[in-house]
Amino acid sequence: MTTLTRQDLNFGQVVADILCEFLEVAIHLILYVREVYPSGIFQKRKKYNVPVQMSCHPELNQYIQDTLYCIKPLIEKNDAEKVVVVIMDKEHHPVERFVFEISQPTLLSISSDTLLSHVEQLLRAFILKISVCDAVLNNNPPGCSFSVLVHTRDAATRNMEKVQVIKDFPWIVADEQEVHMQEPRLIPLKTMTSDIVKMQLYVEERAQKT
Amino acid sequence: REQTEPSSSSGGDKKVILLPCKNPPSRERVNLWLEARRQYESLRKGR
Repeated sequence: MTTLTRQDLNFGQVVADILCEFLEVAIHLILYVREVYPSGIFQKRKKYNVPVQMSCHPELNQYIQDTLYCIKPLIEKNDAEKVVVVIMDKEHHPVERFVFEISQPTLLSISSDTLLSHVEQLLRAFILKISVCDAVLNNNPPGCSFSVLVHTRDAATRNMEKVQVIKDFPWIVADEQEVHMQEPRLIPLKTMTSDIVKMQLYVEERAQKT
Repeated sequence: REQTEPSSSSGGDKKVILLPCKNPPSRERVNLWLEARRQYESLRKGR
């Protein structure tokens, strides 16, 4: 067993790579399961050794990639407290929020041979939970759209500035309307604790969706 | 736009919630793309 700091082995970068790859799969799957887009744009793929649905719409895929590219520096520096996939109704009011709450240890104790396979196993469970979450959620109204929110600190936004310019993908502070949800029902989906990251996923669902 | 949360405990460094300025493609736009792709594929099969 070895104890490392975040600076060793570019630890933050490794965690950010793993999490962003996972978030990409999770976002595609949420959009499929919650029927934000027609099922015809999704294709079955295998990720984490389980079947998942991934979009093949170029513009949507690029949008998700650009979003995660901008979030990555925050995750790398442990500055992304939450990444939230929000599903909004026609009036742009949130009806569902898939909240990924992320925390990373400052010190890392690893046994490297089991580390990655163990993390993959934990992430697989998240994917499986997302793929069946429609059973515990009410149907969404027609015409929903989505957005990805990131909860961070003001000072940390500087880590994002460069990538926003590179990608021509600017970020803004969310309005109250985009954040506030009336009487949300909380549905815990999955929690993981590993050597490199702790994460919990829960859904906040608006009581009255229509 | 106003910041949505008051300052946090971490030395006045405010918590903020950010989102992309750009919107993802609308469902209507995606439907159009899907329909165009279906037509293209049926044309290709018909050749």
